[in-house]
Amino acid sequence: MTEEWRLLQTGHLSAAENMAIDRAILVAHSKGKVPPTVRFYGWNPAAISIGYFQQLTEEVDLTACEKEHVEYVRRITGGGAVFHEDEVTYSFVIKENHPHISKNILESYKTICQAIMNGLDRFGVKTAYAPINDILVNNKKISGNAQTRKQKTVLQHGTILTDVDVDKMFRLLKVPNEKIKGKLIATVKERVTSLTHELQKDFSFDDVSNSLKTGFEETFDISLVHGTLSAEEQKLAESFEKTTFGSKEWNHQR
Amino acid sequence: MKSIYKVPDGKLIKIFLDYDQSTKIIESITIAGDFFAYPEESIQQLEKVLQGKKLDESLLEQMIKEFVVTNNVEFIGISPRSITDAIMRCSND
Repeated sequence: MTEEWRLLQTGHLSAAENMAIDRAILVAHSKGKVPPTVRFYGWNPAAISIGYFQQLTEEVDLTACEKEHVEYVRRITGGGAVFHEDEVTYSFVIKENHPHISKNILESYKTICQAIMNGLDRFGVKTAYAPINDILVNNKKISGNAQTRKQKTVLQHGTILTDVDVDKMFRLLKVPNEKIKGKLIATVKERVTSLTHELQKDFSFDDVSNSLKTGFEETFDISLVHGTLSAEEQKLAESFEKTTFGSKEWNHQR
Repeated sequence: MKSIYKVPDGKLIKIFLDYDQSTKIIESITIAGDFFAYPEESIQQLEKVLQGKKLDESLLEQMIKEFVVTNNVEFIGISPRSITDAIMRCSND
């Protein structure tokens, strides 16, 4: 019988809520309380997430964020700063010893990215994996991904750009050298793409998440069943939102 | 002192370093960047280990290598060698 995993559609939430829910799922699944879970979500308001090891004020222009009503949050995963606006974000939580997932971190990045690629392929775009954590379409980045492993559990989350405003992104993110900012923006515009840009039409959140759902089902040979956060997960998420992702101590820790 | 170092075929390392100019002893260090390290807490531990140590290239690389083995750390996009390179870029000689 096909294994059933849980599918969560949590809508568009604040940055702190989003990161708190991912962490809550990780904790609940590590204790065996909930099945392996794929979650699709968005960000309202728009937000920047930074990698666990990044220095906040080095990467993010906090004044610009306030002016443009953009939130910011530190992730529990490594990797770089991401501007989340017109995109579908996913998270995937599964035990490290699950037969469908490799013990090897690099291998597991590839497998999970393959699920995203299989989903995107359904739109007729030609995807390529760019190790360690990017997915390209026509040689341009359309998806960034980041993984952590805690309590013998894998959490990978990532974004799929439906549209992108590179100029806005660079009003919010800092660059190492202001003098070459113009050039950098031009380079990023050449190297980043989105579904709308590639296919010259608009994509709804549901169009994309439905395809990605099928991508996960095909890749892992499982079926995803709509579910909701458990009461325990909700409680955990509320607590993480307050004590961690919504706190200055966490976001400004480095 | 601060250095920004793009690891060839890897990620970006940003080092924030305070050290005693006469003794070359590291007073505080932050290893930041867009890399991955498993477990994540290992980077803070490594920063603590390096505190109070001498800013010496071969010594640092050796220490970071040993730290990685002892603590079963996995880096992606960085290495003991590249962290050492990034740190040494903060030294002004």
